[in-house]
Amino acid sequence: MGGTRSIALLLGISLALLACGSGDGASGGGATELTVFAAASLSDAMTRIGSDFEAAHPGTNVTFNFGASNDLASAIESEGTADVFASASDTYMDDVSDRVGVERRVDFAQNQLVVITPPDNPAGITSLDDLAAPGVQVVLAAEGVPVGDYARQSLENAGIEDAVLSNVVSDEEDDSSVVAKIIAGEADAAIVYTSDVTSGVAPQVGSVAIPDDVNVVATYPIAVMSTTLHADLARAFVEYVSGSEGEATLADLGFLPAPAS
Amino acid sequence: MADLPRNRTPLVITALAAMGILFVALPLAALLVRAPWSHLIDELSSSGAWTALRLSIEVSLAAAALSLILGAPVAWVLARSKIPGRSVLRAIVILPLVLPPVVGGVGLLAALGRRGIAGRWLDAIGIQLTFTIWGAVVATTFVSIPLVILAVEAGLRSLDPRFEQAASTMGASRGYVLRHVTLPLLRPQLAAGLVLAWARALGEFGATITFAGNLAGRTQTLPLAVYQARQTDPGAAILTSLLLVAMSLIVLVSMRDRVFAR
Repeated sequence: MGGTRSIALLLGISLALLACGSGDGASGGGATELTVFAAASLSDAMTRIGSDFEAAHPGTNVTFNFGASNDLASAIESEGTADVFASASDTYMDDVSDRVGVERRVDFAQNQLVVITPPDNPAGITSLDDLAAPGVQVVLAAEGVPVGDYARQSLENAGIEDAVLSNVVSDEEDDSSVVAKIIAGEADAAIVYTSDVTSGVAPQVGSVAIPDDVNVVATYPIAVMSTTLHADLARAFVEYVSGSEGEATLADLGFLPAPAS
Repeated sequence: MADLPRNRTPLVITALAAMGILFVALPLAALLVRAPWSHLIDELSSSGAWTALRLSIEVSLAAAALSLILGAPVAWVLARSKIPGRSVLRAIVILPLVLPPVVGGVGLLAALGRRGIAGRWLDAIGIQLTFTIWGAVVATTFVSIPLVILAVEAGLRSLDPRFEQAASTMGASRGYVLRHVTLPLLRPQLAAGLVLAWARALGEFGATITFAGNLAGRTQTLPLAVYQARQTDPGAAILTSLLLVAMSLIVLVSMRDRVFAR
């Protein structure tokens, strides 16, 4: 007997526990915690900009969550835990803007696509068109991931989309996984951002430029989430990233400056 | 014994058990609640879930079979041979059970990838595992094989050796004893190992995406299809997840209490 009563009791206890768990708004420790969701392609640049920002704003702790912009956007929509979002595409910033609300939105960097190969270039890739040759093993980021969509756009511009897509051996989850496959030498070629070929990656891959007339320029927007509890700090961070300090770091890592607005 | 009151579970155990069941069941119930049932058929067909389902069945059955063929002999060696360092050997072959599967994937790339320490020899004779269905089978087997080893070793250890001794005393050859005495006695554990390995193989994600990549129709099994659908179509991700839940539930229910309550 009493089975249902004890279950009811237990439900009460769990709900009570849940209620106290969500009560704490401010995190302890003294430092103000700023949570930034940023596209995976920004990881090196943002990590550097983040520690510069922390140095310039003592008592601040910037935490990053890097991932594919689409994943980050859905996480922001469902959990709302970000103070700042830096996206690799307008599409996902628009989504967040519609569903959560943003302020101080600004384009802060641009990026281009490049073909990368293992250093010994086993398939002898010398141009974008070579990706369409039979038997070349190509890795792209999956559809829906900004760099994957840009890569398909560029292939379409070059008129070789079908041929290259039939050479694709894997749709990877983000650009870092694409780069990892090339460094490991598992695939013959991939299309990623020029900024993915960082100083650490450059010696481990070969790069082949994509002509400007078929290349795609990705624009990165950043914005403060309207749900943030640290609006001033978040605005300061956005200004820092889009300001001269951020721009210098981004340029250093292969990003192009944002178009003058 | 028959008079023992049956319904005397202490309150605290009932309470904690209810919490435990709720903890596991709630996310599954949430999937059912959130699923866009009205678009069931379109969502599943447009997201390529059927292709992924077929591939998942093929890959998981092949991995379960391979786990049994390679795992049962390993269990035999661990249970019966006197080789030194047996406990270290056991720890090594059970390791994939506790490692993050992505670590298995990275290890498999280093070993059997095109540039891997063994894979380059395979590549030289024209065999490539990465980005192929065989790569998915290899990655999945790596993760499922410990379940066969654990189940079969436990079975061998609890086997009464007198049956086998009696058979050999009566002049049966070693092969005859194996086929007609040992294996039939081990059947429950072999079946348990096979089914557990199969269930684990169905859910494998990390090692597969790392080693075999993700391509619809070739290496994209159901868990990978869920992951990819999540990028573009959360509704399809939920429906594909439910398909996987249903499959796994069928496999686990099929073994009922027989495997766990010996």
